[in-house]
Amino acid sequence: MSDLVNVELDGKKIKVVQGSMIIEAADNNGVYIPRFCYHKKLTVAANCRMCLVEVEKNKKPVPACATPVTEGMKVFTRSELARNAQKAVMEFLLINHPLDCPICDQGGECELQDLAMGFGSDVSRYKESKRVIKDKNLGPFINTEMTRCIYCTRCVRFAQEIAGLPELGTMGRGEHTEISTFVEQAIHSEISGNIIDLCPVGALTSKPFKFSARAWELQQRAAIAPHDCLGSNINFHSLRGVVKRVVPKDNEAINEMWLSDRDRFSYEAINSEQRVTKPLLKRDGQWQEIDWTVALEIIASSFENVKHAYGAEQIAALVSPNSTVEEQFLVQKIMRKFGSNNIDHRLQQTDFRDQASLASTPQLGMPIADLENLDAVLLIGSDIQREQPLAGARLYKAFRNNAAKIMAINPYDFDFNFGLHAKIIAAPAQMVENLTIVSPQVQSIIDHLKQAKHKAIILGALAQNCAQAAELRSLAQHIANLTGATFGELSVGANAAGAWLTGCVPHRSAGGAALNQAGLDANSMFAHARRAYLLFNVDVEFDVADPQQALGALKKADFVVSCSPFVSDAMREYSDVILPIALFAETSGTFINCNGTWQTFAGAIPAQGETRPGWKVLRVLGNFLHLSGFEYNSSEDVKLEVQRLAREEEQEECQLASRKQAYEREKLDPVGRLKRSKLATASEELTRVSYWPMYRSDNIVRRSQPLQEMFALQASPEISISPALAEQLQLHAGDSVQITQDNQQVIASIQVDPKVPAGVVYCAAANRISAQLGNAFGTIQIKKVAT
Amino acid sequence: MKRIIFLLKTFTLWELFKGMRITLRYFFKPKITVQYPEEKTPTSNRFRGLHALRRYPNGEERCIACKLCEAACPAAAITIDSEVRADGTRRTTKYEIDLFKCIYCGFCEEACPVDSIVETTIQDYHFEKRGQQIMRKDELLAIGDQYEKEIAKMKAADAKFK
Ligand code: SF4
Ligand code: SF4
Ligand code: SF4
Ligand code: FES
Repeated sequence: MSDLVNVELDGKKIKVVQGSMIIEAADNNGVYIPRFCYHKKLTVAANCRMCLVEVEKNKKPVPACATPVTEGMKVFTRSELARNAQKAVMEFLLINHPLDCPICDQGGECELQDLAMGFGSDVSRYKESKRVIKDKNLGPFINTEMTRCIYCTRCVRFAQEIAGLPELGTMGRGEHTEISTFVEQAIHSEISGNIIDLCPVGALTSKPFKFSARAWELQQRAAIAPHDCLGSNINFHSLRGVVKRVVPKDNEAINEMWLSDRDRFSYEAINSEQRVTKPLLKRDGQWQEIDWTVALEIIASSFENVKHAYGAEQIAALVSPNSTVEEQFLVQKIMRKFGSNNIDHRLQQTDFRDQASLASTPQLGMPIADLENLDAVLLIGSDIQREQPLAGARLYKAFRNNAAKIMAINPYDFDFNFGLHAKIIAAPAQMVENLTIVSPQVQSIIDHLKQAKHKAIILGALAQNCAQAAELRSLAQHIANLTGATFGELSVGANAAGAWLTGCVPHRSAGGAALNQAGLDANSMFAHARRAYLLFNVDVEFDVADPQQALGALKKADFVVSCSPFVSDAMREYSDVILPIALFAETSGTFINCNGTWQTFAGAIPAQGETRPGWKVLRVLGNFLHLSGFEYNSSEDVKLEVQRLAREEEQEECQLASRKQAYEREKLDPVGRLKRSKLATASEELTRVSYWPMYRSDNIVRRSQPLQEMFALQASPEISISPALAEQLQLHAGDSVQITQDNQQVIASIQVDPKVPAGVVYCAAANRISAQLGNAFGTIQIKKVAT
Repeated sequence: MKRIIFLLKTFTLWELFKGMRITLRYFFKPKITVQYPEEKTPTSNRFRGLHALRRYPNGEERCIACKLCEAACPAAAITIDSEVRADGTRRTTKYEIDLFKCIYCGFCEEACPVDSIVETTIQDYHFEKRGQQIMRKDELLAIGDQYEKEIAKMKAADAKFK
């Protein structure tokens, strides 16, 4: 705020920061200057000329978006000269515009329509023919009607500056200009949907939304996106109880004004055919619809039978990290009050050795917005661009604006839109080895981190899920201590932090107090099969790290309850009762993001059929089980209880301090810790490394048609190996191989990918093949099948 | 004196004759009674009666599901659902007018960019069951098909005033 200059804007004397543009000064002082190409998050292009204003001593009007203010400048935005200029530009813009507002989805929220009302004339003087431009196919998300384009190039600038993929460009000149993808194909950005909002006209509109409603009849309700740990703010737009679209809600601290495609288009799952809307009961292998009361009675009596016959520890619960705080807390409360500590939410993880020493919630360690100010970042086991697309976009900004050095130690050479300054691509065990012996490459990474001012180490999903998670985490913390970098984790799911805090882990109670007797974690509750299971919002075959082990245990169990918005064939096979619970648009709840921010939302639409919000189902189930403390009237009551517990726990300082100490000790002695734990992999064997593809990451995403269309278009390989291994095994891309894991055999076709490191079989999870396999990060054998 | 005049009027049935005089006058005047329904009064081109949805001469429905009529309707009588038809065009899947809500203001007709929804001169219609007052898309199109000639004539007659 150092250099202020005096400017006169429409006769009003104001002080403006030197170097800012006239349009910014006007925006900050409540004067509206019409514009199309100017956008506060994008660079200035100044090509639409709609923002022409008069400046004293200038004969010609000047573009307000590209003219910096100067001392004593007098600007007139509504003088005759300015008005005439604006009117003339509007007339030019409308010459080639088709004026098909009645069939245009932008109608009613169109900047061109709005400005034409203010600056256009009532009749067109243009009688000649208009030009027509062929529409482009931009994939399943974006519908194009390029004749409507006014060449503001916002979409082009967004692709280059924010999405980091110069995919869209202008081609041709003058009247023959066209906006197109350079390669005519679906655009691959994971945040491409934002150009729908950016486009001031109806040239780019949402394909799933196409023609289904009008802007003016939609009801807007704020909510939180349920897919990644950022907790992007969204607005549901619904019409007569049906969600028609999702748009971003501005929140500078989290998602700015953007939204990832996953958050934007997952709503299509709400009306999926796989929704279950009545409680279902399996009787003699046949499914039948039953009443809620009957269903809850059956569940309560079955659980009680198991408890009496075998003890409460024969019951286990698995909760999705995408469930709300309220749901997670109530599942936990039921389990603990019932006498079982077997509860977990870490579905994809395989290594739980260091759980006792972890902080109370996984944290990023710095505000999300600060990611864009970093100078150096080390990503460990993270595909940040696809795991948390908007965090990836922030890093891209750091890369573009601060020339941040982004480095990665990953088990796969991911394509990032930012260039990697250094990278180590190795199997998880080798990643640990590299970090432990401090290989020269690691040393140089450490040196880069040391030199930088703002620096961070980010642990991603692959590092947290793999069998060496404990080592990687402690080594990462060690390097962070060494270099003064912030250590952070970006966890899987929208509410992993909430799950930790509500005690959806076997070794801590709600609030985070350590328990004397830890229960079974997400892996051992299936390894040591239990008699009864409560599954909350989970598709076991796709969500857990070891589907075969889990499905085996579930099939053997006496009684399995699935609370889920969707039903699948696998679920019908392993469950005994299925309770329909409400989806994210239909329930109230809270998510805690990776900054520990609590974000509460209310339902936007009524729940379908006899579906009930998860917290209500659990509350009533608590009553049926005759457990005390289930007298909640609203989800708000539940939340307040969690908050109270969390606060109390914070006040138990000695306990916290002792845990901190243990934590610090571990942190400072990673090598000692390594010695205490045995390295999991022997070098001879092939390690499986699994990733959950962006559009297969949770049960909602998997049922959203546009996302699945995009997933199919991306054609990401299911199983790939490195060229070296392919040569060794004499395999070629596309060959059929037999994959063996824990006595399970699957035939699949294999891809050869130089981005896969040696010794690794890189597998996509949450698909038909992975559902038949074992541990996502275990050893694996592949053998060529004779054709 | 007043009493005498009163008695006189009473006995000569003066009031009755006064009344009969008017009756007699109307008896010989030309009659304006219309023998409805055999006969009807003439209606204006702009008469606003029962609604209809029109088609283009090639049989394609005019309505493009722009929902402007729905937005313009002051009585919120119109309900529209739209979709992408198989050929990629914008069409309604549901077009309903609740005639009990409708106040026959004609705003829907004014709003329509393609002259699809119109109000015909039909004024004599009735409903026998509850729910029949909600005119569905097929019914409205059928009225349009049946009266297209009249509608076109009305529109043409009024065109120069638009
Ligand atoms: S498509 Fe839309 S955003 Fe892109 S240049 Fe045209 S009008 Fe602007
Ligand atoms: S005539 Fe008026 S009240 Fe009736 S449907 Fe049309 S706009 Fe609505
Ligand atoms: S009747 Fe006319 S105004 Fe109404 S939706 Fe159809 S085209 Fe639009
Ligand atoms: S907004 Fe200034 S030229 Fe486009």
